[in-house]
Amino acid sequence: MRQLQLTKEEEKIFEGEMGDAPKLAIRLLYSLGELGEAERLIPIKSAHISGVSYKNVGEGGIQFLKKMMHKVSVPTSLNPLGFDIENGGPVDIDETFHKKQMEIIEIYQKMGVMNSFTCTPYYFYNEPSFGDHISWAESSAIIYVNSLIGARTNRESGPSAMASAIIGKTPDSGLHRDEGRKATVVVNVTEKLDYTRFAALGLFLGPKLNKNIPIIKGQKETKGIELKALSAALSAVSSIPMFHVDGITKETSLVSDSPETINVEKSDIDETISKNSAQEEPELIAIGCPHLSSEELDYIARLVKGKKKVGPDLFLFTSREVKAQSLESVKIIENFGGKVFSDTCMVVSPLSNKYSKTGTNSGKATFYLPLKGYGNQKVAFMGILDLLKWVIG
Amino acid sequence: MKGRGLSPGRATSDVVVCNQLISPLGEISRDGFVTSGPCENTNITGKVLAFKGGRGSTVGSYTFLELKSRNIAPTGLINEAAEQMVVTGAIISEIPMVDRVPLDVFLKGDRVSMNGSTGDISILNVKERRVATVYLMHDGNLLLLKRSQDMPSYPGQISGISGFIEEGETPEQTGKREMLEECSIEDAKPRKIGKEIYVRNDGNLYAITPMIMETRTAKVKLNEENSEFYWIKPGDIQSYKTVPKFQETFLSLLGMTGT
Repeated sequence: MRQLQLTKEEEKIFEGEMGDAPKLAIRLLYSLGELGEAERLIPIKSAHISGVSYKNVGEGGIQFLKKMMHKVSVPTSLNPLGFDIENGGPVDIDETFHKKQMEIIEIYQKMGVMNSFTCTPYYFYNEPSFGDHISWAESSAIIYVNSLIGARTNRESGPSAMASAIIGKTPDSGLHRDEGRKATVVVNVTEKLDYTRFAALGLFLGPKLNKNIPIIKGQKETKGIELKALSAALSAVSSIPMFHVDGITKETSLVSDSPETINVEKSDIDETISKNSAQEEPELIAIGCPHLSSEELDYIARLVKGKKKVGPDLFLFTSREVKAQSLESVKIIENFGGKVFSDTCMVVSPLSNKYSKTGTNSGKATFYLPLKGYGNQKVAFMGILDLLKWVIG
Repeated sequence: MKGRGLSPGRATSDVVVCNQLISPLGEISRDGFVTSGPCENTNITGKVLAFKGGRGSTVGSYTFLELKSRNIAPTGLINEAAEQMVVTGAIISEIPMVDRVPLDVFLKGDRVSMNGSTGDISILNVKERRVATVYLMHDGNLLLLKRSQDMPSYPGQISGISGFIEEGETPEQTGKREMLEECSIEDAKPRKIGKEIYVRNDGNLYAITPMIMETRTAKVKLNEENSEFYWIKPGDIQSYKTVPKFQETFLSLLGMTGT
C-alpha cells in the first residue's frame, strides 16, 4: 500500500498524462516523499534551482535537463553559472565551456526560470516570508531561509527543486513540519564571533553534527551577514538544513526534549582557521561566497576608497541586482583596482584555468576550492581585514 | 541483511567502504575517484560505494549522472543514513541505492549483492546467521555471562544469554530456550524486543535480535557454554570486556523502554 497518497490530478501526472517531464518530476517527488515519510504533496510558493554551472552539471546533466524541460509553475530563481554573462570573467574559458554553459542557460530560460544567477536570491529575486512552504536547492540558501527567515524547505537537490518547480508541490515531510525543525543539539559559544569566525564555526561543527539541527547560544549580538557565513560553511560540510540562534532567530522554541550539548572553545575556532590556511601570498583574493549584499559591498568600498591596489587580484562576487543597487560602491572598488562580478563566483567558475592560490573569508569556498580535480587551489582562509592587507599597500 | 531500498535496481560488485560523509560535488572527481577523507584516491568505478551519507552541495546529484554518462559510475550506493541529494542522484542516474546499513558489517575485499527495491543486501561467501540475545534483569540487576574458552566465537568475552535462532523459531522463543539451556531459568518474561542489529565476525554475519527479559529468581545454573556469571548494576556495564555492540545495544534498548 502506498504511504504517500496522491490526489486524482497528481495520479494523472504520475501516469504521464501531462507529458514526460511532469511524469519524471512527480515520480522523483514521490520517491523522495517516501524517503521522508510524507503522506501527501503540498503546494509551494517558490523554488530555487541549483545545478547551473557547466563545471557542476556536466554532459550527463545537460541530457537530464533536456528531458526535464517544462514550464515551471511557481516563481523560480536560479543559481550562479561559470562566468559573468555580460562582462566576462572571472577567468578565461574555452569555447566548449561557453557553448555548453549557454546551452544550460537556454534550457532554464525556456522553462521560465528567472535570470537571477545568484546563491542569495533572498536579497532580491525571490524573497520568502515566515512560514512559506518552498522548495529550494543551494545548500547555503536553504539553511539561510529556514533559519533566518523561517520559510520552510527541505534540503532539495538541483533536480528535486526543479521537479517541484514544475509540479508546484513538494512532499510534506521534514522541514515542512515543526517536528523536523527541532534543535537536537545545544551549542554554547561564549566568544563573540565575527564573519570569518562564524564561517570557521560552521566548518568545525558540520562534521560533528552531521544532520542534527543545532541551537547556538551566546551569540545574541550577531548580524545577518555573519549568519550567512555560518550557513554556507555549515551546510558545505554537513547535510544540516537549519539552525537556531538564541535571541536572534524566530523558532527557538522548537527544541527536542533532551538535547545534547557541545561547548565550542576559542581554540576550536583558532585551530579550524589555521588548519585551513596555507600562509603563502595568494594570487587572488576572492570574496563573495555566498554572494555579497549591498551592505557588504558598501563596507568593502569604505575600506579601499581612495587607495590603489597592489599585489594579488581582488575579485568580488554578487548578483546583478545587488550590483546595480550599489553602483557607487562598485565604482569605488573598481577605481581601487578590484573587480566586481555578477552571475558567477569563485566556486562555480573554472578558477584553476588561471589561479592556483586563493585567499578568501568564505568557509564554503575554503572547503571546495582545495579539492583535487574540482577547485585545485591552495587556500588562505582569513578575515576580510587580513585579506585586504595583501592588496592595500 | 535488510536495509531500506531507495533507488531500484540490482548490483553485485566489490564494495568500497568509506567511513566518512561525502559531498559528491568536489569529493568525488569526474574521473570516478574519492578526493578527500579516509578514502582519498580510491576509485569507485564499477564498485558498490558504501559511505556514511551525503553532505554539501545540492548539485551533488549531477555528479552521479555525469559518471553514469561516462560509464564510470559506481554500480550501487549504500549509506548508513541517506539524505535526499544523494538519493536523487541515484534515482536519476538509475543506480541502485539502499540505506540504514551499518558500514562495519563490511570488510576489505568483500563482494556485495544488493537490491535497491527491497533493500536486501548480502555479502558473498559470508554466512548470515540469526541470533537472539537476552539481557536478563532481576530486581534491577543485569545478568552477564563469561563465554567459555572453548566457544567458537568470542571465547572468554562477556555477553548476555545468546544463541542461534532455529528454523521456525521466533527470536523470543529462542531467547527462552537459551535461557533454560544456558542458565536453567524458566520463568523469564520479555519486557522489550529491539530491532535487529548486525555484527560481522570474519566469515559470519550475525543478525542479532536483542531483548530485555525479567526473571523472579537470581538463581543461575550454567551449562558448558559459559564459565562464570555476574549480576551487576546496569551502570557498571562499561567496566566489562563485552562482545561487539553489546553495551550500546543495551543502552538503546533501555532508551526505548521509556517510550
